[in-house]
Amino acid sequence: MGSALRPLAIAVEIIILMGVIYSLFLAVKLSALDFGLEEKYQKFIDWVFMIMGCLALVFFVAHLITFYPRLLALTLH
Amino acid sequence: MDSLTRFWTGQEVYIMKVFLPIIIGFLVLFMGLLAIFALSIWWRHLRLWHLGKEENRSDRGALRLKSLLAVTFGHLRFWKELYPGAMHFLIFWGAILIFLGKIVRLFSYPVGLTNPPQAIFQYASFVSEIGGLLVIIGGCMAVYRRYIVKPSRLETKPTNTLIYLWGAVLLMTGYFVKGYRIAIIGGSVVPDWPFWSPLSYLISRFFLILPTDPLNELLVWHRVLIHALPAFLFFAYVFITRTPLQHFFLSPINIYFRNLKLRGVLAPIPNFEEAETFGVREISEFTWKQLLDLEACTNCGRCQDVCPAHLSQKPLSPRRMTQNLKDHLSREGPKLLATLPDQRQPEAIMGTTVSEDELWACTACMACEEACPVYVEQIIRNIDLRRYLVLVETKYSSEVRLTLKNLEKSNNPWGMGRGLRTDWAKELGVKIFSQLPDPKILFWVGCCGSFDARNQKVAISMVKILQASGIQFGILGNEEGCCGDPARRIGNEYLYQTTAQANIEILKRYGVKTIVTLCPHCFHTLKNEYPQLGGDFQVIHHTQFLMELISSERLKLTKPINKVITYHDSCYLGRANQIFEAPRRILKSIPGLKLVEMERHRNRSFCCGAGGGRMWMEEHIGTRINQMRTDQAIEVKAELIGTACPYCLTMLFDGIKEKGKEETMAAYDLSELVDQSM
Ligand code: SF4
Ligand code: SF4
Repeated sequence: MGSALRPLAIAVEIIILMGVIYSLFLAVKLSALDFGLEEKYQKFIDWVFMIMGCLALVFFVAHLITFYPRLLALTLH
Repeated sequence: MDSLTRFWTGQEVYIMKVFLPIIIGFLVLFMGLLAIFALSIWWRHLRLWHLGKEENRSDRGALRLKSLLAVTFGHLRFWKELYPGAMHFLIFWGAILIFLGKIVRLFSYPVGLTNPPQAIFQYASFVSEIGGLLVIIGGCMAVYRRYIVKPSRLETKPTNTLIYLWGAVLLMTGYFVKGYRIAIIGGSVVPDWPFWSPLSYLISRFFLILPTDPLNELLVWHRVLIHALPAFLFFAYVFITRTPLQHFFLSPINIYFRNLKLRGVLAPIPNFEEAETFGVREISEFTWKQLLDLEACTNCGRCQDVCPAHLSQKPLSPRRMTQNLKDHLSREGPKLLATLPDQRQPEAIMGTTVSEDELWACTACMACEEACPVYVEQIIRNIDLRRYLVLVETKYSSEVRLTLKNLEKSNNPWGMGRGLRTDWAKELGVKIFSQLPDPKILFWVGCCGSFDARNQKVAISMVKILQASGIQFGILGNEEGCCGDPARRIGNEYLYQTTAQANIEILKRYGVKTIVTLCPHCFHTLKNEYPQLGGDFQVIHHTQFLMELISSERLKLTKPINKVITYHDSCYLGRANQIFEAPRRILKSIPGLKLVEMERHRNRSFCCGAGGGRMWMEEHIGTRINQMRTDQAIEVKAELIGTACPYCLTMLFDGIKEKGKEETMAAYDLSELVDQSM
């Protein structure tokens, strides 16, 4: 049961982690605009964050596949 | 092992090794963040408000505090709309519970208050869990409404989406931290978990865990960091940038400094003769409170949903206007602050941020202010902008020009000769107040009652009632002038003040003490605005007076009127002066009449379209507001529309005609119905 759950659990973790990353990047962009950054830089920022986001995604996928736990708490105790 | 000890089984290591260092780090950084927050309040908000003009809003501190607590914690003004009210209530109280639970857990351990195992830690855990659940429910309701229902009043900006997403992530990661801890320790081993941490316990049942304790410790450490770091950055984002969530401190400040006077009372321009400019041209000419209003607006759109101008497709939305002015302030404010006062070249508001059509569309009906949960004041701000247009730029439509000219020349908006003012009363034997030996009551007829054919009938009915009740009353006759309401709401404060002062002088000369008015606009102006110019009189609206006559049985209503009637609350009688009962009690005293309410009644009443000087302007854009109100009366199958205002009567009378319903429907002033029933 534990191994069947693992890909699903990893997917959930990745969604949450990417939620964190997306929130942080969007917050940085909106803060910069709020502090007076000109709108014309928006596209550039979007691209930079898109690339960084993709790198983060690759890292999280690799990291979680390698290290994510395999035992189901229920069956262990 | 007692239940408390069992609850702590296996937790100590995580608390000491994992949480404590992160908590300490978080707290140290948070102190720094609070200092930056304080600085940003001063730099980004207080300095901007200081650009505005002086205004005293610090009177009656205890009352302000009481209403602040009631509105904030009891959500008094939110419950007017059940769904958004419940949604905000859940999120607000959920967040408070999470915060309380966290605070107890954050601070109790380091200071030894709850050196485990102690029960308060369990309670705090429970409180946080329930708080989180409330936020989840409220958040889901908010997401459903904003992204699926999409009501037109809600404007979704990227920052709104960010806050929902970030909030969801923080909640999930928070539950994951505790859930994983429970999974490692073993929920079944510690049977108290399901009770004290129900949600986390549920999640824990599905967690995969690592085989050894050190590895699990490492994963908990990861999880805590993934929760704590974004949480800290979330606070930083909310504290420092202008996000909608800043309403958590801006709204309470605005509620505290709210207007405690009667709604709709305009302030006079002080030192009129010496003033160099009038009204508001640029942002720093607003008062500090008006600037605070702009920042406190949460963009919730409640005002837009009730605005007759917006609903009738005029280019005005009070929400959008407030938000546009807020952007104007954020854009122009820092520029002004960076320049020496004598070198400032501030951008004009009219034409850049607010359009003339938008401004003139406002009927000054106060529905927006009634609906606003954080007491943003719109009317005075709009009139300030109109004052600049009218008094400085002399920019207004030809209809407004004609009205103002008529008021100046003939002291009434129609431009009728002053000598014609009493023509309606010729056959009635009405006495002139100054000629009465012992006059008790002055009947203030108003311009509509004096000159408008439809409203003259109302004045006649009122005279008949007064005579039948044996009241000693008189009228000012040709000495009566316009009360000044149209000039004031249009923005010509100079004309208002000269008109009002002339009236006050006459009223004082004749020793007038008690005035009965037909018109809520005259009533409001004489009662609430003349005192600003030294005119203190007892002013009674005719519905109050009639009610008094009926209750004291000086007036007996015997003839039945077997009709279904709906009562239209006038904005200046109802919302401004809170007179809702007297008109209804009069209607209930008339035999045969059956009163049905329209959906929008009392405080929520829908304007007839004539307030704010709009009585004297054409409605070129969108649907006619009077037709919309007539439709609302048709919807409840009313045969009669009762009013207590000559403006409303005119508008609804026209509305019935325009809708082709003259055969089945009629509009009457309440005094006419009383007259018919006598
Ligand atoms: S006063 Fe009435 S018309 Fe004017 S903005 Fe408010 S709701 Fe709209
Ligand atoms: S003015 Fe008040 S009701 Fe209107 S959007 Fe702002 S907070 Fe909401």
